Amino acid sequence: MEKDNDIMINADNISMRFNLGIEKGFSLKQGFIDLFHPKKRKEKKKNKNEFWALKDVSFKVKKGEVVGFIGSNGAGKSTLLKVIAGVMKPTKGHVNSYGNICPMIELGAGFDPQLTARENIYLNGAVMGYSKELLDSKFDEIVEFSELKDFLDVPVQNFSSGMVARLAFSIATIVEPEILIVDEILSVGDIAFQAKSEAKMMSMINGGTTVLYVSHSIEAIKKLCDKVIWIEHGVVQKIGGKEVCDDYLNYVNN
Amino acid sequence: MISKITYTIKKYSFLLRQLVSRDFKVKYKRSVLGVLWSLLYPVLTMSVMALVFSNMFKMSMPNVNYLVYLMTGLVIFNYFSEASNLAMSSVVGNFSLINKVYMPKYIFPVSKCLFVGINFLLTLIPLYAIIFLTGTGITWHHILLPYAFICLLMFTLGMGFILSAVSVFLRDMFYIYGVVITLWTYMTPIMYDVAIIPEKFMFIFKCNPLYWIVKFVRDIVIYHAVPTLNVWIYCGICGLVFLVIGMVIFKKTQDKFIYYV
Repeated sequence: MEKDNDIMINADNISMRFNLGIEKGFSLKQGFIDLFHPKKRKEKKKNKNEFWALKDVSFKVKKGEVVGFIGSNGAGKSTLLKVIAGVMKPTKGHVNSYGNICPMIELGAGFDPQLTARENIYLNGAVMGYSKELLDSKFDEIVEFSELKDFLDVPVQNFSSGMVARLAFSIATIVEPEILIVDEILSVGDIAFQAKSEAKMMSMINGGTTVLYVSHSIEAIKKLCDKVIWIEHGVVQKIGGKEVCDDYLNYVNN
Repeated sequence: MISKITYTIKKYSFLLRQLVSRDFKVKYKRSVLGVLWSLLYPVLTMSVMALVFSNMFKMSMPNVNYLVYLMTGLVIFNYFSEASNLAMSSVVGNFSLINKVYMPKYIFPVSKCLFVGINFLLTLIPLYAIIFLTGTGITWHHILLPYAFICLLMFTLGMGFILSAVSVFLRDMFYIYGVVITLWTYMTPIMYDVAIIPEKFMFIFKCNPLYWIVKFVRDIVIYHAVPTLNVWIYCGICGLVFLVIGMVIFKKTQDKFIYYV
């Protein structure tokens, strides 16, 4: 029997439905055009199928586990991470997570290009849910890790994309969250920074953080993860150890 | 329940402050006069309107300084119009954030209403300057004004919630509201005396929450009188009712935002 307090994330039959018809949006103009093409309208209604991005996905993640998610493009991995992070509410089922989550789904989402790096550290930190005191005390550390000391008072819109990514990574990883959600960001910045960010990730993993990791790099998954979840068309194909990677590769090659 | 609310307020007040200060910084970035524009802009636009209406249309009112009359109306209405417009586009405009990080979505309309609120407080400086310069005089009644401002904030927040939620599903709202707000400008006695309105049309004005708030402020600033009880009640009810309706609509629809943006 597992003890309940070992479980950090409990996903229970999550299903996520997107209505492709709705996603296109309704506009009066389109409605007017459709009025004169009754045939097309009928077709459209038929095509207005629902799309299940996730179907009855269930799994548990224990404390300190590093879980890798693999699957083809559009398999539902990112949707799943967003559901866990609380950005989306599942259509059916529910997720319980026990611990603060640091979602590194898309770095720098909260940046305002017109503000300087200094101002953005506070803005992005607030968006990530950090307190002012924490940011004050960690400010130097963030600046040092990002190696952007000379550019602190430059608006972020003048940064190169690598610099933006470095700043965002430095802000995101400044706290040690209990649950870290990573969507392919290890390839951030130049080679030196990549090594540095990877080392940082490893130290977080070794420090007992629970990590959910999405990547298309099977090598990275094999290196980092104790548990691998393979998703295809919104359905969990297999949950297991590293051997799942090989099954996935077989599936892809055939 | 209450502890949960205070926890949320504490947790997100820093984010709210950051969002408001972001708006402020971005607004005045690279302008030479910077925050001074918050004072200058309303003064200049009001001067234009005063020039047009008092000289060209020979607008005047017995025993009332037209400039003060115009400015009280404009200050209130400009707050409402700017805040509700910004709040309306705040959810759609911040979608890249909503889609990636969890945060309460109401924080966007709220931050816009507060941001414009700071601007509103700044425009009180030129307003009081004009009250002083025209010799209208300031009495103890002015301490009652915050009641009107709070009602205005509640009403604007409510409208902000409604508009930002509806505009997610119906982008046409941006254009529709542009027309509505123009109509609203003329349906609120800002530049003309409400006495010129025939009695049979007065009920339209009495349905307008801004009419009551402007009346409350003018009763104090111009007539140095305590507003009558029904003005107090209408202001309060309009503020509360719209705030509650807005909150309910926003809360009911916010989980669906993600599919539409």
